[in-house]
Amino acid sequence: MTIYSLYIFDRHCTCVYYQDWHRTKRPKPAVEGSILPAVSQVISPVAISDTATVNASTFNNSPRNTLSSSTGIVIATNESVARSTPPLPPPSSTTLVQQQQGASSAGLPFDEEAKLVYGVVLSLRNMVKKLSGRDESFTSYRTSTYRLHLYETISGYKFVMLTDPKTDYLRFVLRQIYAGPFIEYVVRNPLVKMDSKEYGIDNEYFRTSVDRLVRGLSVFA
Amino acid sequence: MAIHGLWIINKAGGLVYQRNFADGLAQLTSNEYLVLAGTLHGIHAITSRLSPTGSSSGAEVIEGETFKLTIHLTLTGTKFVLLTSLVETTAEVILQKVYEIYADAVMKNPFHTPEMPIRSEGFDSKITTLIGSGQ
Repeated sequence: MTIYSLYIFDRHCTCVYYQDWHRTKRPKPAVEGSILPAVSQVISPVAISDTATVNASTFNNSPRNTLSSSTGIVIATNESVARSTPPLPPPSSTTLVQQQQGASSAGLPFDEEAKLVYGVVLSLRNMVKKLSGRDESFTSYRTSTYRLHLYETISGYKFVMLTDPKTDYLRFVLRQIYAGPFIEYVVRNPLVKMDSKEYGIDNEYFRTSVDRLVRGLSVFA
Repeated sequence: MAIHGLWIINKAGGLVYQRNFADGLAQLTSNEYLVLAGTLHGIHAITSRLSPTGSSSGAEVIEGETFKLTIHLTLTGTKFVLLTSLVETTAEVILQKVYEIYADAVMKNPFHTPEMPIRSEGFDSKITTLIGSGQ
C-alpha cells in the first residue's frame, strides 16, 4: 500500500500543484512555457544556461524527497529556488547516468501527463453526472496498478491522488489536505496569487505540511 | 444490491448491446448511451497510460457516490461493462458469465455479423435468466 502522487487543478483546468512520493516512473520535466511557474520544482522546465547544475542537484535528491527546504525563508512562489540552490557535489558519474536513465524512462512530459489526468477526471465526472441523472460526483477509479481518487471543492479546485490499487476510499484525505494545509498556507497566504492563471500555488510551508500529512497516513508505506 | 445495466462495447468503441435492469440511474436515450460508450472507450485507453509504476491495464472499476461501473476487457478488445450499486461484490463474476453467454449465443450464431449490434433472442433470454430484473 502506498501513495504515488498528488495533483491539484484549479477551475481553469490548469495544474497548480504537483507532488509525488513512491513513483518509480517519474514524468519528464515539462516543456518551457507549458506549465505555470510554482507548480513543482521537480517537473518544472530548467533554464538552459544552468541545466547541468540543476539536473545534478535535482537528480541527486532521492526521488522520494521532493522537498527542498534549502532556503529557510517563507516565500509564496518559489519559482527560482531550484536555480538558486547551491550546486550539490556531483554524484559519481555512474550513479548519475543510472539516475538519468531512470528518469528518462518515464513516458510523458509532465505537462502532457497533467492534461491527460485532467481530461480523464473531467470526462468521468461528466459521465457519472449524466448516468446518475443527479448531481452525483465521480469519486475514484481503479486499474491493475493504481487507483485515482478525486475530491472537488465548491470553488472548482480538483484534488487528484494516485495510490496503490488496494487502498480503499481516500477522499477524506484529500478533504483533509483541503481543509488543513490548503486553507492555511494557500488561501490564507496573501502572497499566493490564487486563480491568477500565471502562478501555481507551491510554497514551502504548503509542501512540507502536505508531505507530513501524507507520510502520517497508515496507508503510506 | 442492484444491477442497473449492461453494455457491450466493440473494439472500435461502438455500443453493440445495451440493456437496463433495476431502476436507480437516469433513463437516457440510445444516442446518449452511444456517446457515453465512446467516451468510456477513450478514457479506458488513456487510463492505461497514466500509470505511475510500470505498465497498467485500463480502468477496471469506476466509482461514483452511489454506483460503479465494472469493466471487463477481453483479449479481442470487446469490453463488457456492468453498472451496479457500490456494494455489489459479484460484478466480476457476472461479467465472466456474460462473456460465456456471449461466446455461446452471439459468436456461435452464424447470422451474427462481428462488431455489429447484437440482436439475438437467445442472448437476451440467457441474460434475463442470469441477471433477472437486476434486483
